[in-house]
Amino acid sequence: MELRCACSVASAILVLLSLAQTNANAELVVIKADRKVDLSSHNVRSITNLKVENTGFDSVSEVLFALPSSLASNLAFIGASAYEGKVKNRATPVNLPVKLTKSEAILSEGVVLFSIILIKPLKASESTLVDVYTVFTHLLKPFPEEITQSDVQLVLYYDSVYVLSPYPVKVQTTSFKLPSNPRIESYTKVNPVKLADAEIKYGPYENIPAFSSLSVTVHYENNQPFAVVEELVREIEISNWGNIYVTENYQLTHGGAKHKGGFSRLDFQARPGISGRASLRGLQARLPPRAHSVYYRDEIGNVSTSHLRLDKDKTELLFEPRYPLLGGWHVTFTIGYGVPLQDFVFRAADGKRYLRFPFGCPIQDVVVKKLVVKVVLPEGSKEPSVQVPFTVEESNEVKYSYLDSVGRTVVVLTKKNVVQEHNVFFEIYFKFNPVAMLVEPLMLVTGFFLFFIACVAYARLDFSISKSSASYQARIQREELIDAVQKLRIIFVFRRANVSDKLEASLKELARTGDIQGCKAARKAADAVLRESTKDLNAKFQSLQCSPRPFNIVPKVEALVAKEKEKQEKLQQKHTVVVESFERKLSSQEIDNRIAPYQQRISVLKQEIDDLLQSLDDF
Amino acid sequence: MADAGTALYSPVPEGLYPFLSISLLTVGLMVAAYFFIYEVTTSKFSRSLVHELLTSGVASLFLGFGSLFLLLWTGVYV
Repeated sequence: MELRCACSVASAILVLLSLAQTNANAELVVIKADRKVDLSSHNVRSITNLKVENTGFDSVSEVLFALPSSLASNLAFIGASAYEGKVKNRATPVNLPVKLTKSEAILSEGVVLFSIILIKPLKASESTLVDVYTVFTHLLKPFPEEITQSDVQLVLYYDSVYVLSPYPVKVQTTSFKLPSNPRIESYTKVNPVKLADAEIKYGPYENIPAFSSLSVTVHYENNQPFAVVEELVREIEISNWGNIYVTENYQLTHGGAKHKGGFSRLDFQARPGISGRASLRGLQARLPPRAHSVYYRDEIGNVSTSHLRLDKDKTELLFEPRYPLLGGWHVTFTIGYGVPLQDFVFRAADGKRYLRFPFGCPIQDVVVKKLVVKVVLPEGSKEPSVQVPFTVEESNEVKYSYLDSVGRTVVVLTKKNVVQEHNVFFEIYFKFNPVAMLVEPLMLVTGFFLFFIACVAYARLDFSISKSSASYQARIQREELIDAVQKLRIIFVFRRANVSDKLEASLKELARTGDIQGCKAARKAADAVLRESTKDLNAKFQSLQCSPRPFNIVPKVEALVAKEKEKQEKLQQKHTVVVESFERKLSSQEIDNRIAPYQQRISVLKQEIDDLLQSLDDF
Repeated sequence: MADAGTALYSPVPEGLYPFLSISLLTVGLMVAAYFFIYEVTTSKFSRSLVHELLTSGVASLFLGFGSLFLLLWTGVYV
């Protein structure tokens, strides 16, 4: 929407009236002005249909719209629209840019002017239709200002019966729409005036000069709870892993007639139609579709009085404050929800990413005095730029969240006096390199790795206090011994046992193929390995023997080494016998008989070696 | 304004988060267990630093990514 809103203008503006008379704008005349003011809620919404004719000679490209400057601070929203076609009903309205004009365009004291740029310049003696839509907040004054629980809420409304116009108005009407079945205390009578159902109609009045006003007062019953949010902080946190978290912190006030006297919960509960009629019992928030993980809580904890309705186009959260709000009472609470990333974050054609999210408050028909929208961009985002269809204050912050190193860029948008009409999409463009998403997992990886490194260091460091105590010495020696035994074992189990297996395998091969040469070669290689490992074994054994030890292990190892040696020798002998027998072409029966003693001894030794190794483990 | 934009999705489909976190954490914990078994069964003199660094590196890689997906699965969108 290309609507421009100018607000928070309170300063009185002084101008020369004479300037107005000479201005080319004086050539415009309003043929017909119809104003409809809706007073049924606590915000005043009015639509003014203007039929403007150019009676001058030059074409005019803008139309001025006037408001009393006393109302300027209450103005929350102003928008204008026109129709392209001749027939109003058939054409779709086109929004026109509206901007606050200052300096020489201001025609009268105490008046604020807005200029509305027309679609195409209005030529001489042509006419066009323009609709101006305005929303005012805090215009209805409760009177009496304080009511008890059983009273109804009466409000006063002051306005002018004439449309304030910088141009002469030929025919005009004004109607005020009141809540249904109204109790009207009083209203100013300016003939012709008519009260029908819930509507007071003033007019038609003819030939009213520019800047005329005639005040009227309406005093009527309005039991709408005046839901005013003093401050709303919305935090929109984008995660590139597929989610957007929204957290909204509310400070809600009932801005209507103040409550006086006591509060009876019994009356309130038992007679809801009579007691506390203007109280705020429930609220409705319209959240985006596919919202999940919705919560509603305050400082105490979860507030259970809420219902969630999901449907295709929206998620509706119906909730009640922790206690009913009567006039002047406050409540603070938090609403939070998550929405899928793909619904609101997009990639633009130029590679930039952008968030497209509703700006205003999701609760229906409230006034937000101060709205702060904080957009937390993913860590590593650069160059944020904001596109909001109205003026907002903009600033930047840094927030630290889960697994952050440099912090996340936060774009803070602040706007005062926000109404439902501001609930339009805004965009935030930012640059983001997808590689930056790896920072978070790599941080976790680094954390785990540092923990492992700490374990490695701990295992290597010596934390004992007395390094000379006997138990410490014993432990060190024990560790050295374990290490030496382990090395011996490696030689036994992996190198020498391997050789034995190879020898046996070559014998089997011989039995199968009769390849004596191959068998001899295998024997040669095995002998070489054995010699080598025997050398190693002796060296290790020597070193084990050297230092004095209180352990009864050396004899065991000695026995082990001796038995192992014998086993290897027996194996070699067996091998030799088999090969020889083959060369002499003896029968397999004969061979079996010949190697039987060796075989027996070998299996006995094998058993003994295994037992010894086992006992080495146990010490 | 916002006409030419294409929707942005998570680089890993969200439905895969439970599977990824469970499988990566399982592998990671197993490698970590192997690392600790190695630490306590070897003596100070026979430990190999390269072996330790390799196993701990693999374990922390699996555990790191596994715990990331665990966070995402449980709704902590980092």
